[in-house]
Amino acid sequence: MSAPLLQLNTITKSFDAVRALKGVSFTLNPGEVHALLGENGAGKSTLIKVITGAHQPNSGTIEINGQLVEKLTPASAHKLGIAAIYQQPALFPDLSAAENIALGLEPTSGLRRINWAQRRAQARDLLKRVGADIDPETEVRNLSMPQQQLVEIARSLGKGARILIMDEPTASLTQKEVELLFGVICDLRRQGVGIIYISHRLEEIFAVADRVTVLRDGESVATHAIGVIDKPKLIRLMVGREVAAIYPPAQTAPGQVVLSLSKVGCTKSQVHDVTFDVRAGEVFGLAGLVGAGRTELARMLFGITPTDSGTIRLNGETIQIHSPQQAIDHGIGYVPEDRRRHGVILEMSVAANATMSVHRRIFPGAWLRFGAEQELAKKYIHDLSIKTYSPDSNVNTLSGGNQQKVALARWLATGPKVLILDEPTQGVDVGAKAEIHKLIRNLAAQGLAVIMISSDLPEIMGMSDRIGVMLGGTITAILDGKSADADAVMAAALGQTQRAGEMSAQ
Amino acid sequence: MKNFVRSNLAKHEAILLVVVIAEWFYFNSVGAHFGSLDNTFDIVRHSVEIGLLALVMTPIILTGGIDLSVGSLLGLCAILFGKLWRDAGLSPATAGICTVGIGAVAGGLNATLITWLRLPPLIVTLGTYSLFRGLAEAITRGVDTFTGFPASFLFLGQERFLGMPAQAPIFVCVAIVVWLLVHRTTFGRSFRAIGFSPDGARYAGLPVDRRIAMVYVLAGIVSALAAIIYTARLGQAKADAGTGYELYAITAVVLGGTSIFGGIGTVHGTLLGVAAIAVLSNGLVHARQPREVAGMLTGLLLILALSSSVIPKIFARLRARRQTRRHDKAPNSKIQAPEKLQSSNTD
Repeated sequence: MSAPLLQLNTITKSFDAVRALKGVSFTLNPGEVHALLGENGAGKSTLIKVITGAHQPNSGTIEINGQLVEKLTPASAHKLGIAAIYQQPALFPDLSAAENIALGLEPTSGLRRINWAQRRAQARDLLKRVGADIDPETEVRNLSMPQQQLVEIARSLGKGARILIMDEPTASLTQKEVELLFGVICDLRRQGVGIIYISHRLEEIFAVADRVTVLRDGESVATHAIGVIDKPKLIRLMVGREVAAIYPPAQTAPGQVVLSLSKVGCTKSQVHDVTFDVRAGEVFGLAGLVGAGRTELARMLFGITPTDSGTIRLNGETIQIHSPQQAIDHGIGYVPEDRRRHGVILEMSVAANATMSVHRRIFPGAWLRFGAEQELAKKYIHDLSIKTYSPDSNVNTLSGGNQQKVALARWLATGPKVLILDEPTQGVDVGAKAEIHKLIRNLAAQGLAVIMISSDLPEIMGMSDRIGVMLGGTITAILDGKSADADAVMAAALGQTQRAGEMSAQ
Repeated sequence: MKNFVRSNLAKHEAILLVVVIAEWFYFNSVGAHFGSLDNTFDIVRHSVEIGLLALVMTPIILTGGIDLSVGSLLGLCAILFGKLWRDAGLSPATAGICTVGIGAVAGGLNATLITWLRLPPLIVTLGTYSLFRGLAEAITRGVDTFTGFPASFLFLGQERFLGMPAQAPIFVCVAIVVWLLVHRTTFGRSFRAIGFSPDGARYAGLPVDRRIAMVYVLAGIVSALAAIIYTARLGQAKADAGTGYELYAITAVVLGGTSIFGGIGTVHGTLLGVAAIAVLSNGLVHARQPREVAGMLTGLLLILALSSSVIPKIFARLRARRQTRRHDKAPNSKIQAPEKLQSSNTD
C-alpha cells in the first residue's frame, strides 16, 4: 500500500493545565473511512482542530502523504487537501449551489474576470461526482439539509480535498438520507479520498467505516478493523466500563389517560387530525421522517404555534393552550430539539436556567431569592448528576449531555404532568445518553406522561411503550413498542403500511 | 464563565470609577471653583435628565433593544406639560401627572409596534424619534415657548431640598427602583434572558412580549418625568428640549459596560457612565476648554473604555508573535495568545 494520506505521531496538546491530547497517534490511508469515536470531551474536536491546523500541537509530528509537515495552519491544511464538514453546513444561503461551490475553487489570479460559465460547469461536474440530484442554480436556502451537505462535500472536493473530515454529518438526517450519504462516502472511498468519520451512532460506524479509533480522556485507547469488533466492545472501550442494559425497561404498567388529543390540527404548521392518548407512566414515542410534523405537533402542545382545530383534554378536561405560559400552567413541559437555541440560555448560569420556568413559584412577588434558587439548582445537579463546577457556572461551560440535563431540570422543576422531549439525546455521548434514558424511565415510573420524539430508530424502539408514527402532518399508525419491529416503523414512516400490524385509527 | 463575565464587568466598573475620580482630581487642580459644593450641585442638576434617560435605557439595552425616541419624547412631553399648564389651566402637579401618563402612552406606542408588528426596535424608535419631535414642533409651530412657571414649580429644578438639588432625591429614587428591578427581580432576569436569546426565553415560558413592552413603557414614563425636571430647571419649555439626549443616554449606558447586544450590564455601571460624562463636560468648562472638546473626549473615553479589556490581549498577541519570530524552531507557545483572545471575545 502507498504511504498513508495522514499520519499523526504521538500528538499532545494542552490548554493551560488541561491536557486535551496525550500522545495520540492516528493513520488515515487513501480510500479508507476511519471512524473516530469517543465520549464528549474525549479529545475528538481537539484532534480535528490539530488536523485542520486550527490548533498547533505541543509535541508530536504530522505527516501528510509521507511528508513531514513542520507547521500546519488552516491555510496550509487547506492547500494540502484537508477539508472538514460539520453538522451544520457552512454555506452562503443566498447564493446558488453552483456559486457556493465556485467560491471554493482555486481563485483566478489578480483582477481577471471570473468565468462563471466555466465555474458552473465545474460545479455541475462536482455535484454529479457526489451523486447529488440538485439543480446547480437553486439557492442554498431552498435546499434540504442533506442536499446542503452534499453541496458542501462537492465544494470540498472542488478544493481538491483528499482528506475529508465529517463531524456528525448525519445528526439532522433521516434514515433514508443517511443511506444516500453512505452511498456518496463509498464513491469517494473508491476515488481514493480518505475520510475521517465522527459519529455517536454506532450503527453508522459499522455500516460505513473500515477502521475505528476510540479516544478516551485524550488518549487513543484502541484502533480496530471494523470486522473484528462488536458494539458492546466498542462501547466498553469508549466509556471504559460496561454499559449494562442500553435501554432500561418499563418499571410500571401505564395508568390513567393524562393527555388526550382528538383531531387536533394547526393550519400554519400543516398538522391535522392528530388523535392519540398518553397515559401516566407511559413513554409515547413519536417516530417519523424529518418534516413529518413531529416537532410542529410538540410546538402546538406547548402553545408556541397554537392549535386551531380539534380538542385537547388533560385529565378529562378540555383545555386551551395558546402560549407557553398556559402550557406550563397546565403542567406541560417541552424540552426542545435545538438545545443551544431553545433548550437553555447558554450565557446564563445553571441555576438561572433551572429556575427559569418556575419564576412565579420560586420567587413570590417577583423578588429573586438567591438562597432558594441555589437550593433548587443543587437539588437537580445532584438528582440528575449534572457535571458542573458550580450552580453559578454558565451553561456554555458544560458538555452537551450536561446542557441537556439542565434543560430537563428546568422542566422537572415545574412539576409537569406531561413532558415532551424532542430528540433528547441528539449530539449527546453514549454515557450521558444511557443516563438520560434511565432518567426518562424513572420519570415515567413517577407517573409522568412522556412524549418522546426521536429520529434515532433504536432509541424509539427501545424506549417507547407505544410508538406513534407521523407522516405528512398526522399520525398514520400507532404501534405497540414491544412487538413492533424497526421495519414496521420505517414502513409506516415512509407511508408503506402494507402490513404494519396494529394500524390504528382510534 | 459567569464568574469570568462578572469579574470582567466588575473590572470595567472599577476602571470607570478610577476614571471618574481621576477626572475629578484633574479638574479640581486646574479649575478654581470646580470642587466647590455649588459646582458639584451644578453637575448634578445638569446630569439628572440624561441620567434618568440612561437609567431606563439600561433595561432596554439589556433586552437587546434600543430606544432612540427618548430625547424627542422629552421634548414632546415638555411642550405638552407647558400646554396643559398654560392653555388648559391645570396646576403644575396635575399637568405633571398627565404628562407622565402621556409618556406612558408614547412608550406604549413603541412597545406595541415592537411586539405586535415584530419590527426591530431600532426602526420603530427611529420612526417615533421623528414623530415625537415633529409633533412637538407642530404643536408649537416651532416658535411657541412656555415660560413664567410659578416659583413653587421652579423649586423642583433650581432650589435645594434637604441640602441638595431638589431633583436629586427623585433621581435617587428612580435609580433605586431601576436597580432593584434589574438586579433583584425576575423582571431583570427576564430582560437578560431575552437579551441573550429571545427564542430561548420564549421556550422557557417567559412572557417575552410583556417584558419588552414593560421596558419601553417605563422609558416613556421616565422620559416624561425628565421633561418636567428639564422644564423646571430651565424655567421654559421649547420644542427642541432634549435634542440629542438619546445618544448621551446610550453613550452613558455603553460606557457603563452594558453590552449593546443585550444580556450583560449593570445599573451601577450606567450610573458611573453618567458620572464620567457629566464630570468631564463640566470640568472642561472650568478648564476653559471649548465645548466641542467635551464631545471629542467623551468619544475617546468611550472607545478607550470599551477596548480596555482587549488592549492587554493585543499586547500579549504582539509579544507572542515577536517571540515566535525569535524562536522560529519552537512552535509551542505561539498560538496560545490569539486563541485566548478568541475564546474570551465570545463572552
